[in-house]
Amino acid sequence: MPVLEGILLASLALVLVRLAFGPSPWDRLMAANSASTRVVLLICVAAVLLERPALLDVALVYAALSFLGVVIMARTLERPGGTR
Amino acid sequence: MTAWVLMGLGAGLVVVGTVGALRFRDVYSRLQASGVADTTGAAVLLLGLIVHGGLQREDATLALLLVVLLATSPIATHSIAKSAFTQRHGSEGGP
Repeated sequence: MPVLEGILLASLALVLVRLAFGPSPWDRLMAANSASTRVVLLICVAAVLLERPALLDVALVYAALSFLGVVIMARTLERPGGTR
Repeated sequence: MTAWVLMGLGAGLVVVGTVGALRFRDVYSRLQASGVADTTGAAVLLLGLIVHGGLQREDATLALLLVVLLATSPIATHSIAKSAFTQRHGSEGGP
């Protein structure tokens, strides 16, 4: 049933619009965080509905790495002159 | 049946978070919409995926992923908001 994947893909595309046109760096960071959440959910839905359990490990590693990247970029922007 | 209801509810919450991230007015409002709705939607959708196939071996991985998402998503949102506030980023219309 591809309706769920379609909804998540459309939502991912709309979040990528905010990532492309976000006025401030924090908008882009927020959009990157939301996009990675949607990608993780898409991988999980594909893993369960296609009965490929190995994809769940991919989703776990993707979630951990995206969290690390977002926090590191936020801490870098927080420093004086970090937005340049 | 319950699984599909939970998955639909989670997808609906994710769509609500997307609309909030696109339509709200300044950075903090968008962060609030995206953070709260995404965390709840991801949790409900993963619960639906756990319920979906009965009790199986990969449900443990899904539960671990649920715990990881519930722990890390608010931390990431708070980190972005603290970074924006430290740099004194006001709303777009005002000073």
